[in-house]
Amino acid sequence: MTREARLRWLELQLLVVPAATSLVGLLTIYLARRGETRWSWSDLTVSLVFIVAVLLTNLWLTVLRVRADQLLLPIVVMLSCLGLLLSQRLGPTISETGVWASLSQRQLAYLLVAFVALWITVALVRRFDVLRRLRYTWAVAALGLTVFTMLFGTDLGSGARLWIDLGPITLQPGELVKVLLVLFLAGYLDDHRELIASSYQVGPFRLPPLPYLVPLVAMWGISILAVVLQNDLGNALLLFGIFLVMLYVVSGRPLYVAGGLLAFAAAVAVALRLFPRVDQRVQIWLDPWAKPSGIGMQPVQADLAFAHGHILGAGLGFGYPQAIPVVATDYAFAALAEELGSLGSVAIVGLYVALVMRGLFIAVRIRHSYVRLLSIGLVSVLGLQALIILAGNVRLLPLTGITLPFISAGGSSLITNFIIVGLLLRASEAARG
Amino acid sequence: MWRLVQTSAMLASLLLITYGVLRTDDRADPRWLLLLAFVAVLWSVALWPRAPLARTARPVVHVGLALTVGFGLVAIQIVRAQLLDRERILARASDPTSGVVDVRRYLGQRDAVRGRILMRDGTIVAQDVVGPDGQRRRVYERASAAYLAGYYSPGLFGATGIEAAYDDVLSGQAVSNWRTWLDGILHRNRRGNDVVLTIDPELQELGQTELADRTGAIVVLDADSGAVLALVTSPGYDPNRLSVPLGATREDIERARAYLRSLEEDGRGPLLLRPVQGLYVPGSTFKTITAAAAFEFGIAQPDTVYRDDGALAIDSRVIIEQNRPDPSRVSFTVREAYGYSLNVVFAQIGLQLGSQRLEAMARAVGFGEAIPFDLPIAPSQIAGTPEFLTSRVGIAETAFGQGQLLVTPLQMALVTAAVVRDGTVPEPFLVQEVRRPDGSLVESRKPTTWRRAFGQGTAAQVRDLMIWSVEHGYARNARIEGAVVGGKTGTAEVGSGAPHAWFVGFGERDGKRVVVAVVVEHGGSGGQVALPIARALLEAALAPR
Repeated sequence: MTREARLRWLELQLLVVPAATSLVGLLTIYLARRGETRWSWSDLTVSLVFIVAVLLTNLWLTVLRVRADQLLLPIVVMLSCLGLLLSQRLGPTISETGVWASLSQRQLAYLLVAFVALWITVALVRRFDVLRRLRYTWAVAALGLTVFTMLFGTDLGSGARLWIDLGPITLQPGELVKVLLVLFLAGYLDDHRELIASSYQVGPFRLPPLPYLVPLVAMWGISILAVVLQNDLGNALLLFGIFLVMLYVVSGRPLYVAGGLLAFAAAVAVALRLFPRVDQRVQIWLDPWAKPSGIGMQPVQADLAFAHGHILGAGLGFGYPQAIPVVATDYAFAALAEELGSLGSVAIVGLYVALVMRGLFIAVRIRHSYVRLLSIGLVSVLGLQALIILAGNVRLLPLTGITLPFISAGGSSLITNFIIVGLLLRASEAARG
Repeated sequence: MWRLVQTSAMLASLLLITYGVLRTDDRADPRWLLLLAFVAVLWSVALWPRAPLARTARPVVHVGLALTVGFGLVAIQIVRAQLLDRERILARASDPTSGVVDVRRYLGQRDAVRGRILMRDGTIVAQDVVGPDGQRRRVYERASAAYLAGYYSPGLFGATGIEAAYDDVLSGQAVSNWRTWLDGILHRNRRGNDVVLTIDPELQELGQTELADRTGAIVVLDADSGAVLALVTSPGYDPNRLSVPLGATREDIERARAYLRSLEEDGRGPLLLRPVQGLYVPGSTFKTITAAAAFEFGIAQPDTVYRDDGALAIDSRVIIEQNRPDPSRVSFTVREAYGYSLNVVFAQIGLQLGSQRLEAMARAVGFGEAIPFDLPIAPSQIAGTPEFLTSRVGIAETAFGQGQLLVTPLQMALVTAAVVRDGTVPEPFLVQEVRRPDGSLVESRKPTTWRRAFGQGTAAQVRDLMIWSVEHGYARNARIEGAVVGGKTGTAEVGSGAPHAWFVGFGERDGKRVVVAVVVEHGGSGGQVALPIARALLEAALAPR
């Protein structure tokens, strides 16, 4: 099958917006920090590097003759542009020890690595059959990584071993495990598609079939263990949510999903009663003002960041987001909301909605059932993750330690998310029309 | 049909949100979260796809719907945090008791020159000065008035006094016209406006010298306008040692913090602005209020005669009279009883009045209420417990100024002002003008009356008493050549140590009317300790310039 290389014009045109944003934003940040209006081209280095990487991506997709969707990449690039700007803005205000470079430099480096990961993914994954055949390999890899991290991982202050320490850099395998899980589930559920959609009668009850029930119970158990052992409500919610979404897409039975959600909620409610650490999270969610200088400091300062943002925001570089503890990962959104105002923050939420909607729109039109299921799973990884952490930031849910896709500081999540985008781009080729 | 259901679901969700925002204060209030759950259901109904879907597409569309509703709820929370609840959140954080550090309030210092704080003649109290290291810091010039400005210390995340109360004006955050709004948006360097105090530097200085190292407070008011001419507290503190700019060295911050801690732990309470926040037993100065009540409610006239034979037994308590000028005299008019400060007579008047009328008069002059003022004040109290005034002893003791009374010097000055103003209490103020850096006026304070304390007749009669007290009574030393002076001394017994020395009074000359209240803690006799200070201040305030 030969295809002629076609310029991805629409994508290129849309990429002008994030490119311009990165230039203007970066200049604003530097000038605001120095308090003057003189500038030189060297101030724009970071943005120019970013723009070159973005253009190379566009070119790479053209060279590989990828007939992929042209809206996905601009949305993702816009979000990562905001993440990059945030890291440039926060970098000099945060003092760190024991890291190989400042936050600003690290995030730029991670972003470049993430782009390379995207290129490699797009180049390698030409046929999804291979991915499908390897489904149990993914499962074993996911399990192996999780166990390895639990045994040999280090605790970076969250009370759970979630990281692998490699000297200057630390990896968070949990991020990759999400993708591996989706890869496995897509294969497994697609195999048992017919069975899952059926049901059988035991006395007066209609029960879901075993291939449905067994993984459901297993996933439920694993998620609850994550809550209890790692105090990681966010990841548990995320894993279970991805699983439910994929199950629902395969089975089309809302009752099973509702049942799963209820079981999860019940287990969380029990965990709240039994484990004070989990309960504490809920307390500072409901009333952080009770201890504004202790454990409630983070949400209270985030509330203040939001409030000071008002409509137009303080302006990039003019706020004081560093007042929020662990702002670069946990409260990246609050930091942007302070400086971009409610107009900016609602626009960011709009970008995530656009990303999810575009992803699902692509997925619906894919005929190949495995690829469709896989892309829905991948889109829901991004969507649910964004939703859970955003909800935590605005105190719709308790705050959890998961990252905001493309914006939060952190290499593991950035690279993983770009791999997801690569897979989605390739999957979009299978879409009709 | 379906269309109608969806439209009404959307409308119902909007109504629910409005109701929720009005009824709840916080975004994580469980009631509000429950409401959001209902909103989510309504939105799902409103956005449910109307067109028939393919079997494979249906679940995917539902997933999209669920995520969209979720992001919608996030958007509502954002709008609440950034727009609707904004004022509530900021107000909550600026409450000093909340324990919240709102750093962003002090960021203005980084890019805007803060306005100056001046006295009425232009003397600088506080201004921004750029040091040799290029760092701008807040400098307080006049030690005698510096504590009125309070302190502004971004490094310590704190501000008090005028610096805190007028922060919007001084920092340039206050938007007075479209130009300042535009400057704010464009991050142009702004300079805050100047705040001009009503304080007369000479009087303030004089008050400080008179009190010297004694603990006490002085208020001097212009009776006609309510402008505060001097507001002296002792001991004070040096705000310069507390003002630390953002980005100061750790050493500087630690030094300032240590000083603040030493001030907080100092038993004499140097951080307390005594004239408006210090609560004292008023002693005999309260007889002014008892007398006003007696005249107002028709219990007695200045010439009504009472018997005072040196002691009065009330229930189980015997009040001993120590103040009679001549131990052989047993009958005194109210005028004489006031001038000689006879406790036995005022105990009798108090009992005749009863608790209700006595309390009514105290409330009429402002007791129990926050006096409207530019700085935080403490309200004066007539009794600590409501039961106290149900006993006859309690009423009698209150009537001559002991009991459970606790008053601020400002409150006593306002009572005196009502006496010379035919019964109306002025609204006291410390800030007379706000001016732009170029000197042009932004706003100036218009004197207003706070409330009516008592009738014109009563005011005239009490004024007569106060003048008699200076002309013939124990306040004789307060006389000033060429001026009409009235006043009342007070020697307030306190649990331990020497009594508090009090003097409240007024002076009138050439149409100028000034009132003064002085208290010296554990100073001893009011006539000997507080009176000379008050006289010096009255004389200086009335001196022709």
